Amino acid sequence: MKLGFSPEEELFRAECADWLNAQMAGEFRDIKGISTLTEKAERRKEWEQHLGAHGWGCIGWPKEWGGRGATLAEQVIFAEEYARAGVPGRVNHIGIELAGPTILTFGTEDQKKRFLPDIAAGNTIFCQGFSEPGAGSDLASVRTKGRLENGSWVVNGQKIWTSLAHISDWIFVVTRTEEGSKGPKGLTFLMMPIDQPGIEIRPIKQINGDAEFNETFFTDATCPEDSLIGAVGDGWRIAMGLLAFERGVSTLGQQMAFRNELDAIILDAKANGAASDSLVRQRLAKAEIGLRLMRYGALRMLSNTDHSKVDGAALTYKIQWATWRRNLGELAMDVLGQAGEVTDNADYEWTMLPNLFLYSRADTIYGGTNQIQRNLIAERGLGMPREPRGDV
Amino acid sequence: MDFRFSEDQLVLVESVRDYFSGTHGPEVLRRLDVDGNRDPAIWQALVDMGLTGLCVPEAHGGLGMGLVEAALIAAECGRVCLAEPLVDTAFVAVPWLIAKGETDKLSAIASGDHKVALPHVLNPWVADGEGKPQTSVDPLRNLAMFPASGSNDDRLLNLGALMNAAQLLGLADAMLEQAVEYAKIRTQFGQPVGAFQGIKHQLASCAVAVEFAKPVVWRAAAAMQDGLETAPVHVSHAKIAASDAAMLTAETAIQVHGAMGYTYEVDLHFWMKRSWALVGGWGDRSYHYKRLDAAVLGGSIPIGPEHTFA
Ligand SMILES: Cc1cc2nc3c(=O)[nH]c(=O)nc-3n(C[C@H](O)[C@H](O)[C@H](O)COP(=O)(O)OP(=O)(O)OC[C@H]3O[C@@H](n4cnc5c(N)ncnc54)[C@H](O)[C@@H]3O)c2cc1C
Repeated sequence: MKLGFSPEEELFRAECADWLNAQMAGEFRDIKGISTLTEKAERRKEWEQHLGAHGWGCIGWPKEWGGRGATLAEQVIFAEEYARAGVPGRVNHIGIELAGPTILTFGTEDQKKRFLPDIAAGNTIFCQGFSEPGAGSDLASVRTKGRLENGSWVVNGQKIWTSLAHISDWIFVVTRTEEGSKGPKGLTFLMMPIDQPGIEIRPIKQINGDAEFNETFFTDATCPEDSLIGAVGDGWRIAMGLLAFERGVSTLGQQMAFRNELDAIILDAKANGAASDSLVRQRLAKAEIGLRLMRYGALRMLSNTDHSKVDGAALTYKIQWATWRRNLGELAMDVLGQAGEVTDNADYEWTMLPNLFLYSRADTIYGGTNQIQRNLIAERGLGMPREPRGDV
Repeated sequence: MDFRFSEDQLVLVESVRDYFSGTHGPEVLRRLDVDGNRDPAIWQALVDMGLTGLCVPEAHGGLGMGLVEAALIAAECGRVCLAEPLVDTAFVAVPWLIAKGETDKLSAIASGDHKVALPHVLNPWVADGEGKPQTSVDPLRNLAMFPASGSNDDRLLNLGALMNAAQLLGLADAMLEQAVEYAKIRTQFGQPVGAFQGIKHQLASCAVAVEFAKPVVWRAAAAMQDGLETAPVHVSHAKIAASDAAMLTAETAIQVHGAMGYTYEVDLHFWMKRSWALVGGWGDRSYHYKRLDAAVLGGSIPIGPEHTFA
């Protein structure tokens, strides 16, 4: 066990902080502090390219694919400084955290060459086409069909809740390519360019008035034959491999963003007097403990170098942070009191903390709901008998 | 002690519920959201049913009913997420005006011609007030900036808190029902998600919270009606119990709906946001907890074997 950072690592931290702060004070000051994923999307794409041009796009990736081969500690440091500097979330987070690592792990040399440098450079934005109207928690019941025809994949069907599809260049899609197959068998993982007549995107409005996610319709949409990751029929394994990346380094950067949110609540509580309330005080203390639990937990998880095997501890991570943040949203509103109920904007647009409350309603849903997480922990982690399910 | 309602009370509630369920579905909320939030025709229907005059004495053209009836109807207003300011005008302002002996506006209120929005210092805004409009998280709530001054009267506060609690009961009931219905029709893994214990148990916990909050609210309404000295404590208890039940149900109902529950396109969010707004109004949770702890520790609720705790 070695906790804390070395002098070299602290130097690296200073380098990250200097650069990020300079950007947020300079060319990109107009995007500083944005708390939604949709605001100023075009500028945020430019920011992705700016990061890429300065070698900060995907620092954990190998150098040959546009990364820096940064150590785990360095990735943690960068993620922390990123959030601390008030830099808004990465609009290409799906490309960087999901598509990239999936291609790196399961893709061919050719696919790596085609996609990785462009993701790292911020030129290729990816979105995730997993969920369908009939396939949410039960992802294996996807019905979007893919078939090979004259050297192309032809895809028909519908995806839903596709975050940021409207600003993305590519979508990875889990398709059913074996006629009549059921469940996890017969699925293939395809990557498709979005800008084509066969793909139509319709925004879905969220409770906070924003429209971050979409319905994505495929009508004879196509992609070249070699756009699949893994083999035909191997889609489930690839999709599961991809979901495991969700528990990666990004979680540590996320915690610094959580830190910012909790700090904002603490400052508000002190300013408006809520901090003199004993209930609020204890909940703030509890939130602080919860944040530290996550931090040490994530560091422990990432220190475990054998990522090929999912251990029981790693399975516990999602439900922990999601539930913590959902509670944080409620605490924020109790601290703000009725001030949290209104916005100064004439439009239905929300500032950081009310948005936190609204947005955090979804944390326990996407990326596997709390119920599904508990099933995973109990059935895969603890080896308990599977709950009876219907005929799929 | 008898928690049963009279035949008349039950008939009243049923007729209001029937009326709302036939005319005030979610499509009305959608329409109002697009069309400016208020609809004179809905208001007129409330007037025609006598609801604006529910608590107005018969001599002034009303039905002369009390706070228990008002609380029961407020719950029905919550159930359909009614946007019109019926509760504030007819069930908060009217009893307050009567208590103060100000009767000149009562007949105009009963006839639907006069609405009353009362500023209280615990509320930073006035719902349906006259001042500069504010954007509320509840898209159907019309908030106005707090005027130069407002009342700090406790009776007004108690009436407001009681009626918010009553509305929260109806809101919670409605959200629970929406979640239960969704859990029956949404299938995953080859069965309705409601067949999974992880869903069933959560909804059952909401039902426990809501069912136990109800008699507390009724008890508070009766205590206010009877002018009990302990009424403020009952009101605080009611506000907390109803708030907790509604917030738990809101959170759970969204969860049960999955991503659907996070959209503006599914109706649930109207109820969730109304609940959120009402929970904060007329004294938030910590305000009412303080009143309770002061009563428990300060002696206004007597303790010891010689006392009961009705
Ligand atoms: C903000 C947001 C962004 C998203 N972005 C994307 C995206 O970019 N790409 C993408 O593909 N998807 C995305 N999703 C979809 C997300 O993955 C699904 O919402 C999630 O998997 C749950 O599916 P569902 O919404 O269909 O809920 P359902 O699966 O219908 O679940 C409904 C309820 O039933 C419960 N339930 C289901 N099965 C069980 C069980 N076996 N035991 C107990 N309870 C159960 C659930 O926990 C939930 O409470 C996003 C969702 C949100 C909210």
